[in-house]
Amino acid sequence: MPTETTQDTGLPARITADEVERARSTLYFVWRGVQNDPYALAGALLILMFVVFALFAPFIAPYGPNEANPVLRLQGIGTPGHLLGLDAQGRDVLTRLIYGSRYSLVTGVAPVILGTLLAIPLGMIAAYYERLGYIIMRFMDILFAFPMVLLAIMLSFFMGPGIENLVIALVVVLVPYNTRVVYVQALAQKELGYIEAARADATSDFRILFVEMLPHVVSASVVYSMTIVGTIVVTAAGLSFLGLGVQPPTPEWGIMTSDGRTVLHIAPHLSTLPGLAIFLMVTGFNLLGDSLRDALDPRTRLIRAAVTKVEA
Amino acid sequence: MLRFIVWRLVQVIPVLIGVSFIVFSALYLIPGDIANTLLAMFYTEERAALLRAELGLDRPMLVQYGTWLWGALQGDLGKSLMMRLPVMTVLQDKVVNSLILTGASLLIVIPVSFLLGTTSAARFRTSFDRFTVFFSLLLASMPVFWLGIVLMYLLGVKLPLFPMSGMYNMANPGGFWDLMHHLTLPAITTAATSVAIVTRVTRGAMLDTLNQPYILAARARGLPRSRVIYVHGVRNVLPTFSNMIGLQIGYLFGSAIFSEIIFNWPGIGLQLYQSIIHRDPTMVQGCVLAVAVIFVLGNMTADVIGYCLDPARK
Repeated sequence: MPTETTQDTGLPARITADEVERARSTLYFVWRGVQNDPYALAGALLILMFVVFALFAPFIAPYGPNEANPVLRLQGIGTPGHLLGLDAQGRDVLTRLIYGSRYSLVTGVAPVILGTLLAIPLGMIAAYYERLGYIIMRFMDILFAFPMVLLAIMLSFFMGPGIENLVIALVVVLVPYNTRVVYVQALAQKELGYIEAARADATSDFRILFVEMLPHVVSASVVYSMTIVGTIVVTAAGLSFLGLGVQPPTPEWGIMTSDGRTVLHIAPHLSTLPGLAIFLMVTGFNLLGDSLRDALDPRTRLIRAAVTKVEA
Repeated sequence: MLRFIVWRLVQVIPVLIGVSFIVFSALYLIPGDIANTLLAMFYTEERAALLRAELGLDRPMLVQYGTWLWGALQGDLGKSLMMRLPVMTVLQDKVVNSLILTGASLLIVIPVSFLLGTTSAARFRTSFDRFTVFFSLLLASMPVFWLGIVLMYLLGVKLPLFPMSGMYNMANPGGFWDLMHHLTLPAITTAATSVAIVTRVTRGAMLDTLNQPYILAARARGLPRSRVIYVHGVRNVLPTFSNMIGLQIGYLFGSAIFSEIIFNWPGIGLQLYQSIIHRDPTMVQGCVLAVAVIFVLGNMTADVIGYCLDPARK
């Protein structure tokens, strides 16, 4: 293995295998780390299951999401024809859980993608232009002063209900965290030779940031984003649990959990099952996210490199 | 050291001003005409004019902010639009109740996560370590409100060991032990996510510390392994740990919102929920501001403690 890698990178022969390991692209480590990790696989399978549910809900679900059979209302798990029971209005719980994966996936993933797209330029600009950066980062400090859930609650309360407003609120909440990740990376890159060389070469600031520096900060931000998807899924469900964001009769897991609370003593499946669905989806994202982060972590990376060498 | 404390205090001021500005200006996020939206079906011209005057919407935004901040500094956060009571009066008791709940959760988080984090790092890659890592991952993935409902169902309904609602027994309000009895489930619910997060970070910090040369040197001098880990190692983890605990104060308040709702605990979280349902903007602002201020001050305290505990400083 080590001899091959030296040829791949085309580096002079006096560079040791260890140094090659360090010079590898971040994505290489991510891929190598995740590939053989059973936890990552489990996480990916969980997420895949929910993605399939979300995409093919009308084909998988036995009923329509708002189709009610009032005669059987509040019947528990194992009712004939209704595997996971029925809710207070006689709607099939399994059906609504399957449809619910749509909302949790969208409200979990969309804010993270949008937030990352905002945070990357923001973080790089803040690191590159010191004065502007000072202002940007002080503003972020103020946003950090709010507990994440609380800021999301306040924003979505004042912006009003609706899935779009919910997504906007979540973007605002997570941008500071992601920006700081990019900022720290970009600050380190700024001191390196290639940026200085580009500057001496009279490269435009835009090119320096978005052509030279971008590839070096992107992976940290993406990995961070992967680790935060789970948190955002919980936060989004929590907001609809509070009556903000997505509104009934949407089959959303947070709303279902909240609705089931009033009948907890006679029909416990109504609030525990949607919560379990959230838990499973979040576990999936966290398993995958943690695996990615470990793959990038210099400590585990060196251990893995040592293992690879022993095997080779 | 005194200089550090004073400097940290000074740093807090601009953050608090910024926080108050964001909370204040959230009112302007309300789409369309604010008076119109708030009054909705009760809208009449006179009512709208009255409401605008009460909220100060008839003046320029910065003037309003100045007036509002000046009031807030003197303990006046305006009147709740629903309850017709000063926000501050309502919040006082709630803040105390929430502090009891988060304080109790903190008393769970600190020992549990510290022990799990340091011990699992000391036993890196043993089954205990793997279990801790996996357990904290599962714990971190649980929605607070779901955990609360499950605990409530198992230990309140199925096996009625703990009361399901409130702070004291209504019929026969007892003293301290009654409070503890009511506090158990909400405190565990609130603490869960934080235990997971702090355990992980503590484990990471401890692993870093144990890989440092001075630990190897201490071992080479013949010090027993347990002494090296629990005396020399742990000391260098303390600043990180203290810092993490400071950050958890905010997360705990975030989680407390949900456990207060589920266990009907009369704190800021429950108040916030009721204000959301009744669409009471001044009350929502008051709750958010109260929590944010507590969070900022808590972080500051944790920073100062962490600074005092840092062995590298000496």
